[in-house]
Amino acid sequence: MIFRKLALASLGAALGATVAFADTTIRVLHVNDNTAAVDLWNKIARDFEAQNKGVKVDIQYLENEAFKAKLPTLLQSEERPSIIYSWGGGVMRAQAKAGFLDDITAEAAPWANTLSATAAKAFQVDGKTVGIPFETGEVGFFYNKKLMDKAGVKAEDIKSWDDFLAAVKKIKAAGITPLVVGAGEKWPIHFYYSYLVMRIGGASALADAAAGKNGGFKGAPFVEAGVRLRELAALEPFQAGYIGTTHTQAEGMFGDGKGAMELMGEWLLDSQASNAADGKGQPIDNIGLLSFPLVPGGKGVATDILGGINGWLVTKNAPKEATAFLKFFSQDKYQRQVAAKGYYIPVVSGTETAIQNPVVKQIANQLAASTYHQNFFDQDLGPSVGRVVNDISAAVAAGEMKPEAAAAAIQDAWDQQ
Amino acid sequence: MATTLASSVETSRRPGGRGWLTILIFLPPALLLFTIFVAMPMGEAAWYSFYNWNGYGRPENFIGLKNYASLIGNHAFTQALLNNFLIIAVSLAIQLPLALGVALIVSKKIRGAVAFRMIFFLPYILADVAAGLIWRFVYDGDYGLVSGMTSLIGAQPVFLLADKNWAFSAVLVVIVWKYFGFHMMLYVAGLQSLDKALLEAAEIDGANAVQRFRHITLPLLGPMIRLSIFFSVVGALQLFDMIVPLTGGGPFDTTNTMVSYLYFFGITRMRVGFGSAVGVVLFLFCVTFALGYRRFFMRDD
Amino acid sequence: MTRWFSQRPRGGLASLAQFAVLVIIAGIVLVPLVATVLGGFKELGDLRANPFGLPKVWVWRNYWDILSGVRYWQMLGNSLVIALLTVFLTLALSSMAAFTFAHLHFFGERFLLSYMLLGLLFPAATAILPLFIKIRDLGLLNSHWGIVLPQTAFALGMGILLLRNAFKQLPGELLDSALMDGCGYFRYFFYITLPLSTPILATVAVIAFVSSWNNYLLPLVVLNSENRYPWTLGLMAYQGEYSTAWQLVLAFITLTILPAIVMFVMAQKYIVAGLTAGAVKG
Repeated sequence: MIFRKLALASLGAALGATVAFADTTIRVLHVNDNTAAVDLWNKIARDFEAQNKGVKVDIQYLENEAFKAKLPTLLQSEERPSIIYSWGGGVMRAQAKAGFLDDITAEAAPWANTLSATAAKAFQVDGKTVGIPFETGEVGFFYNKKLMDKAGVKAEDIKSWDDFLAAVKKIKAAGITPLVVGAGEKWPIHFYYSYLVMRIGGASALADAAAGKNGGFKGAPFVEAGVRLRELAALEPFQAGYIGTTHTQAEGMFGDGKGAMELMGEWLLDSQASNAADGKGQPIDNIGLLSFPLVPGGKGVATDILGGINGWLVTKNAPKEATAFLKFFSQDKYQRQVAAKGYYIPVVSGTETAIQNPVVKQIANQLAASTYHQNFFDQDLGPSVGRVVNDISAAVAAGEMKPEAAAAAIQDAWDQQ
Repeated sequence: MATTLASSVETSRRPGGRGWLTILIFLPPALLLFTIFVAMPMGEAAWYSFYNWNGYGRPENFIGLKNYASLIGNHAFTQALLNNFLIIAVSLAIQLPLALGVALIVSKKIRGAVAFRMIFFLPYILADVAAGLIWRFVYDGDYGLVSGMTSLIGAQPVFLLADKNWAFSAVLVVIVWKYFGFHMMLYVAGLQSLDKALLEAAEIDGANAVQRFRHITLPLLGPMIRLSIFFSVVGALQLFDMIVPLTGGGPFDTTNTMVSYLYFFGITRMRVGFGSAVGVVLFLFCVTFALGYRRFFMRDD
Repeated sequence: MTRWFSQRPRGGLASLAQFAVLVIIAGIVLVPLVATVLGGFKELGDLRANPFGLPKVWVWRNYWDILSGVRYWQMLGNSLVIALLTVFLTLALSSMAAFTFAHLHFFGERFLLSYMLLGLLFPAATAILPLFIKIRDLGLLNSHWGIVLPQTAFALGMGILLLRNAFKQLPGELLDSALMDGCGYFRYFFYITLPLSTPILATVAVIAFVSSWNNYLLPLVVLNSENRYPWTLGLMAYQGEYSTAWQLVLAFITLTILPAIVMFVMAQKYIVAGLTAGAVKG
């Protein structure tokens, strides 16, 4: 009988009754696959636990694609994590509107001024703070210096779209894959479409379209961006089978030296190494960064930057300590370490001076001098429209969809949501 | 399913007091569980399908038949529907004859027949996800077996799953690979219960192998063939697990089935109303088929 | 005599050709599986250069790292708990219901039976979104019960159908004399019906176990925490994390399909009989 009771009790535990190890557990869910950075996060968590008895911080990783697919259902669960990773934008606004986020304005106000103002603003919805940013970044063409030299292409000279197309042809003629892209997951190729829209329609093209100006998403910038993307793809600049490649595979290819350039965010510096066959990838002094070229006649300028501002959102009914942990996390001493190690570019003001890595430094300088910082289109537009932009980017590049139809598809999704 | 509901009344009896108690204790648990998790969700799918709802709060934004209307002419959905029919066609035109042919051989007293049966049945016991991943490796352009073969003859590596013209054919190969063994087993079971004397008598009468197959084996295997068709169609309509690891529905939504379409466009985007409409359409296909099958195929069983 | 007779017309050549066909098909069936197992022993570079052959160096670490970690065992444990609970509940609920439908006559019996058999007409996927909402509203998201209960509910139709037919075939005199002797329905059910029906109960159990063990869609929608994942979800999560390291993914696939293959080899007779008999009688 006792045995049976024991068996039942352990069964109950196995079936997921929450077992309290500590009085409060803060569960943090993220997608960062830079293990060194996550090690530091865990160290911060242990420090926090040491100072706050009875509080446990549990940092959990979910693979990027799985995270995005899971999040809509995850948030509906009673056991949602206390803190979730976020790219801000429309996805975050939709979550706030649905009532899944906590308003932490009051708790964050006393120390919010330690963060970059632009970044802090990116995590407000209707003037209320719902999250704390920790990282900012830039999408650009990272290139392999040796391969560019071998093809006889000078990256510094690529200013316009035509320069870029010429360079692509030259690299291809030298027997090198000009561009690697993980179009299997679609968002990597939507960076091309996004930048083209920004370069053609100007920095605020997306916001304008969302507001219904200039013909909305059916307007000229969105159609022409498709035409240009197809123009590039028609040169067959991507690796074989790019339509099925995942972003990690593509990053690994760049690390293996199998492609001259990749349009990607700053995390590529780490992931090209961790996903390379030898686990080392390209040394940092062989990697250069090229801004997305200007499109002739377009309204955009080279200092309009596409990139993420990533942060943490505090979910509904999270323990009070969650916000306290984020304050602890955002301390200068930790974020300076992040900067010094080059894991990412922190948004705590003043920490950027600690950056050593030359490429990361270049990104930080460009961000500081930027005229506009546009969030990733797929995040900014919200969950359902964002996915459509990703879908059409891949389809247009492959010639599966006409640019006009692609632009109309975005507008349709926008109207339907 | 088509078995008689009213036959063998002789063992059924009017419940006395104890009988009623039995009914009251034995029936409700199953009834309750079934109602909550099968009947109600299906009814609710019909209800939700008239709303534009993201699952938060209650459904309030009534949009009538709009969800259904947007399915008509929707490129990705039409493709998914077409794919479901392609799977059925391949199951009937390729898988079924293959399974039958193999069954005819392995049910003879041939060397290693039992071992062969087990080998052919093996893929069936693997989960679809595992089979899908194994074949994703087989088809991988950089590391896979198919590219390994093309490079042996000096050709370029091929990326079948990234090629919209080939990706779904590649999926179909995996389906046949995984399921023909199950259908073979059905036929083996059918062949074992055949009356051998009939075949021998025919042989003595001078009927050749083809004649014996056409006029005796095939007709007697009728029930098994019908069953095999039934499982091919039902399996095709609910295929999902294999699509996710193989292609994720891509490239360009050319390899979705109705269920994977429902998952990628309904669940991961939390469009509950729209996804429910897809579910209702799928439900109608399933029920129409099941009832039609009963009516036309099971008449004489 | 008959043996000799029936073998006579099969010429050596035809039989050889048939054998060759079997060998070729078996090759096609086995090559992907063997390449998967071997691939798990290779270095990534070796895998690329030589996807078919034996590993240049046998890298046992790929397998050992997985086997010595918690993750693999936790997944299998979760799958086992979910499958056993599903089997138990399916057997219990469907045998009780089938017993009533087989032996007791009451108003609305036919209607209720047809109602319960409706579940055979469509798969769980058709109602997956409302099912998700239901599981959420019941507070069962991210719990194993959120998988076990719906799985059981969808398995009831098949269970009731198979068991009812079997129970009816038990000799009626048994029940008559038992009732005459003052043995109630309950005792009859536990002491006579169930022990006499073990083969068909085993069939129902095999079907419920295999479909639960292999289920992917429902756990995918219901579960969030990786420590509660069954192996199907765990495998996909692993593949997502190590998508650039095929050798590790292949080792992981091999280890996750191993239990199914071992079970199959050990109990092939019952499994084949169970799965095909279930299909035939259903």
